[in-house]
Amino acid sequence: MHTIKYSILPGLERTGVLAPVIPVTFKNSVYEFPTFALVDSGAEQGLISTVIADALHINWKSIPRKSGIATSGNFLFHPIKDITAVIFDYEFNLDINVVEGINAFKCILGRRDLFQKATIVFEGFKNKFKIEFRELN
Amino acid sequence: MIHKGINFRALVKNYKNGWIAISKKFDRVLYHGITLKETMKKTKNTKDRVYYFPVEKNYSHFVGTL
Repeated sequence: MHTIKYSILPGLERTGVLAPVIPVTFKNSVYEFPTFALVDSGAEQGLISTVIADALHINWKSIPRKSGIATSGNFLFHPIKDITAVIFDYEFNLDINVVEGINAFKCILGRRDLFQKATIVFEGFKNKFKIEFRELN
Repeated sequence: MIHKGINFRALVKNYKNGWIAISKKFDRVLYHGITLKETMKKTKNTKDRVYYFPVEKNYSHFVGTL
């Protein structure tokens, strides 16, 4: 079981909002990219920016573009299958969307990926969350 | 295991733009570059475990705020 305190992001001082952010290393073949992801129960599927996808040498432009809807509006994405994520030595495969036109830091893990692999408990009143990865055969 | 929250505000405060490579304890910046490519090049020969993060003034779109 890992307990992670929420993180402080610039620009959110006025709101006092802290964020449930987790360190993650993505792997695509021999390429690795360690960065940080927002743990988002409101996200159906994880996403990364095209900048992160390029760093992983994912050939996202060759995947037909699709459109999706989020609370922030419509977005264009390229669904990528079977990359690997490593969080606190726990490794798992996931499908992820490479989204066009979003900030480079955008990296989110959601219900179809991280939330299938772990029990996650948010204690927003304590500014922390807990994550316990499932033991899968 | 308990992990401290990451103070990204403190980590990016000395930089105007570019990318930073953050230490594995998430408490300091080890490298900085204007582009991600430049930053990754600087870390190529290091044994340090780093995590990459872009420098922005405002990350409100990361979490979505009113």
